Amino acid sequence: MNVMRSAMTAIKKFPLAAFALVMMFTAADAAAQCRTFTKKRCLPQLEDYVQNDNYNTAVLIPGDEAELELTFFGDRAYRLLVCGHPVLGDLTFQVLDSRGNGIYDSTDKDSDHFDFRVANTQQMTIRVQVPDTDAVIQHEGCVSIMVGSKG
Amino acid sequence: MTLKHDRFKLSLRMATWMALPLMFLFIGCGEGQEPTSSGDADATSETMDEEGMMPARRQKAFKKIFHAVPSPIETALLLERSGINFDGDALHSLDQAVGYSTTELQAVNLGIYAGDLSYSVIFNQNQQSVDYLNTCRRLCDGLGVGDLIDADLIARADNNRAIRDSLVDIVTETFYALNARFRENGMEEVGGLMAAGGWLEGVYLGTLSLNTSTDDLKLRIAEQKMTLENLMGLLNSYAPTPALTAMKEALAPVEAAFAGVSITENAAAATAASDGTVIISGGPEVSYDQATLAAISETIAAARNQYAQ
Repeated sequence: MNVMRSAMTAIKKFPLAAFALVMMFTAADAAAQCRTFTKKRCLPQLEDYVQNDNYNTAVLIPGDEAELELTFFGDRAYRLLVCGHPVLGDLTFQVLDSRGNGIYDSTDKDSDHFDFRVANTQQMTIRVQVPDTDAVIQHEGCVSIMVGSKG
Repeated sequence: MTLKHDRFKLSLRMATWMALPLMFLFIGCGEGQEPTSSGDADATSETMDEEGMMPARRQKAFKKIFHAVPSPIETALLLERSGINFDGDALHSLDQAVGYSTTELQAVNLGIYAGDLSYSVIFNQNQQSVDYLNTCRRLCDGLGVGDLIDADLIARADNNRAIRDSLVDIVTETFYALNARFRENGMEEVGGLMAAGGWLEGVYLGTLSLNTSTDDLKLRIAEQKMTLENLMGLLNSYAPTPALTAMKEALAPVEAAFAGVSITENAAAATAASDGTVIISGGPEVSYDQATLAAISETIAAARNQYAQ
């Protein structure tokens, strides 16, 4: 009871702390939902590629961008998958080399993934865009950048 | 009278503040609406549905930067392809896992053991793989995420110990879930330290046989300069803490050693092979000398052994 009283005193004195607590719960819940989304909707699309164990998932809104820089090893095949909630529309993504030159652009391509083999080990950047919308009520949704590799 | 009135006000306020987080918690766990593709779904619902969507809580667009490093399994696959032989004596002792009592040591050593687990799996060391998974479980217990490596998972690994692909799936799924959990729980620093431990162990195992190794392995080790950049980007993306600062200090000599590796940036290009496969060629040229590799080997061992003791 003393603990509760102390907590309430803190909340009375620091309403921002209470607000932060609420937001923390909300954010943690959204993150957990994104993990479920990624597991159900994205992971299966990697098929026989071995997934990288990094968790590159975020809650995005229309107009947002996401970027991932990663080293890709030579003589290995990769599947780059950009997986987002349908409410966000058709996500587009580009692959850039270490000098920022475009290697691949998904715009006008009817695919959410890019399969490729790397001849020499190199760092590449993946840049993802969530399309803008004119909708009065905007939605946010999970977006995951997944990288799988094989042989 | 005033006292009673104050108490009533306090109770009401208490109830309101206590109800808010619980409300969000319960709403979040409930069944959500089906996703729509129109973008104008019922805005009265403020929960993220189980498909990963909800009305936006912010209006201003931003840019999310992810930092990632190749997983221990990928590093172990590189070592295998480079022709090194399995060396069980080089692995971190299983017995020492019980001695790590701080979050910092548990996190880094979880990464180190994950590196050993991946190495054992890729080299078909079946019993050793299960033993290292069990050790990872012990450290996960200490970090409060022991439920992700439960008895069922250990049994699944044990039952599939002879099937490398199954073990690879189990390891990658488990460490993906761990990284996700660390993010969800606001423990990203722990995830970063684990990634650093995993990277250190993978490169450490690769450098042990440098004197007798193939040119391919030497090149793979030198190329780790790029993954070290990824790792430092990851560690620098977190707010500084004593544990992160200590890790960056431990990696500083490693960075200095890798400075001897020269990388010439060239444009990369994608071309289609005859079977339709897209090949990305060009890109950086990597050059190094024997002294640089020796310095890398020495500094990597020092950094790794600073934690694995």
